Amino acid sequence: MKPVAITGLGVVSPFGAGVKAFWEGLSSGVCAIRPITLIDTEGFRCRIAAEVPGPIAGSARRSRADRLALAAAREALDDAGVDRGDREDAAVIVGAVGGGMLEAEAWHWRRMRGSTEPVPRPLASSFPSAHADVIGSTLGLTGPRETVVTACSSGAASLAMAADLVGDGVVPVALAGGVDALTRICFMGFNALRLLDAAPCRPFDRDRRGMSIGEGAAFVVLEDPARARARGARVYAELVGYGMTGDAFHVTSPHPEGEGMARAMRIALQGAGVAAASVGYANAHGTATAQNDRIEARAMRDVFGEGGLLVSSTKSMIGHTMAAAGTLEAVATVLAVSSELVPPTAQLETPDPEIPFDCVPRVAREATVEFAISNSFGFGGQNVTLLFKRAA
Amino acid sequence: MGQRVAITGVGVVDERTPDVATWLADESEARRLSRICQLTVAAGRRALADAGLDAHGGLAVMVGTEFGDMVSTISFVDGYLGRGPGGLSALLFPHTVMNTMAATTAIAVSAKGLSLTLSALTVAGELAIARAASAIRAGRVGACLAGGADEPAPLVMSALREAGAAPELRAAGAGFVVLETFDGARERGARILGEIAGAAWRAVPARPHRIGSTASSRAIAAALTEAGASAAEVGRVYTSANGDGPREEWERALVDAALAPHRLTHRSLSVPTGRHSGLAAHSVATAASEGGDKLALVHAVARGGNQVAILVRGPDGSDS
Repeated sequence: MKPVAITGLGVVSPFGAGVKAFWEGLSSGVCAIRPITLIDTEGFRCRIAAEVPGPIAGSARRSRADRLALAAAREALDDAGVDRGDREDAAVIVGAVGGGMLEAEAWHWRRMRGSTEPVPRPLASSFPSAHADVIGSTLGLTGPRETVVTACSSGAASLAMAADLVGDGVVPVALAGGVDALTRICFMGFNALRLLDAAPCRPFDRDRRGMSIGEGAAFVVLEDPARARARGARVYAELVGYGMTGDAFHVTSPHPEGEGMARAMRIALQGAGVAAASVGYANAHGTATAQNDRIEARAMRDVFGEGGLLVSSTKSMIGHTMAAAGTLEAVATVLAVSSELVPPTAQLETPDPEIPFDCVPRVAREATVEFAISNSFGFGGQNVTLLFKRAA
Repeated sequence: MGQRVAITGVGVVDERTPDVATWLADESEARRLSRICQLTVAAGRRALADAGLDAHGGLAVMVGTEFGDMVSTISFVDGYLGRGPGGLSALLFPHTVMNTMAATTAIAVSAKGLSLTLSALTVAGELAIARAASAIRAGRVGACLAGGADEPAPLVMSALREAGAAPELRAAGAGFVVLETFDGARERGARILGEIAGAAWRAVPARPHRIGSTASSRAIAAALTEAGASAAEVGRVYTSANGDGPREEWERALVDAALAPHRLTHRSLSVPTGRHSGLAAHSVATAASEGGDKLALVHAVARGGNQVAILVRGPDGSDS
């Protein structure tokens, strides 16, 4: 693929609003997974998640997810210096799963218990596609507009799709990212699958007990590197390759040998013409379920060799933010490359001997990394690997 | 210029299709799949059979949908509301994610390539086909099942009506076209139904859930540019009309302005049966099969401004 420049970042995370708060939290190894306040957790074994703290900016007539998305999208566009004139042709691609379901669920709950209140306005925006329409309309982006749903890899897929549009010359600039607010369906579903840890998740730990869920939004601005240089934009990193594959195996379980995951990583490397040995860091999908961490490690071992690179899971601090995860983790990877600091895996006390990598336990590590990958995998065997290169 | 994009197969099913079950592997598969996933798998297998294309690992799947599997989602939620945490079904949970139709179809046909689910109001199926055509033209994908699926859940429809949504004719169904590189299709001796000569998607300025005030269509212009064609070369138009009067008027204005001074008859395959995202495949295949020496425009625009234009050439024009 043709490399594309990353020139703007925007984040709303469980550390609060803004890229600065996000990176300070990650690089300090702080865990933002706490008792849930947004929804009723009575009767469930797990009662924690990584919620975005405090009031969320924006009109209460919008869904929580729309407000998270708008705040992150605005920050990214402002950070990149994309002005109104540039926005007319700009693409907006959003990875989303829950949409405005948090508000729709609340209404349905009340209706089922006898309420006769009218349908609230955000209900019309309860589908995932609402975010792209709100962002496009509010921020004046009238290029290609897409909402991609590849489960927990949606946020990463959005970047790959945007890179194609920029690389193919369809648009000069694209805004891409992912968003999800906490929802009852997500919380209850992972409880039903018995995949949630009652304590904050411990990716790659021998004693890990499952994942923690979270919420947030992240967006990045992608543009042609020559255009970025010409306008004097700051380039954080370049997205130089990606791989998107399907397991075609099971609706919830990954292929037991990680075949699709490994294929996504290899395709990303091949597309960029980068040797596996050149990659110094992997921001892993790292959900902390017994099965997924082991399979992902196996796939990375097949591609990079044992101990071939530093690996960490930022989900240990912000939980699994669903459709936002792929973008939040892409931003973490970009910042790791650009600031020469690899974020840690929090709560990692006893490394699993079956994970043959240095998983950067608890404390961030200074490291100069030329290339780094971000892995994201989702239900249905939807594997996405993004490959970033440090800006020259 | 890139690769030429051939249409080599089509499969469309809906609630009235009598033989959906015959396209499912067995009773076990039928039991595992929700109704919308059954329809999607059946449409996918039917399209591949029509194309004479064996399932293979590199096959991509792109599914457009407005609603996903909301019927299963509501069942999942109501399990909790009825019986508390003990009423939750781990089997239903994955169906609450919109990619469930693409995932089950990819599993059913062993497609291990790129798999995308695109969520959009009104234009989802056309968008998936346009995205797929773009990926093939750029050489990123060799062959793709592209289309869409929808199943309107009664609760969702009544809530949307109550929230003031426009009355629209909707149906449950799924549909795919098989798209592949023209050279690849010829090499394997496939019957070529037609060709996607150009495809583009853009947003027309409009507020969410509203129609816009402009009739300027950059999507149609971009599709014509990609096809290397002029507006005068378009001879037929298939639209997304489905009973939402103001949106239909806007669509007519957008198309007429883009093709001016030519005013063509608009046809929608959504009326009277009801629209679902799989009908985009039906429109593209029909546009190809009706052939002629002119291009056909398959067009869709949603409230909120999302717009897709696909230019289809029939087999006569494609063999040159």
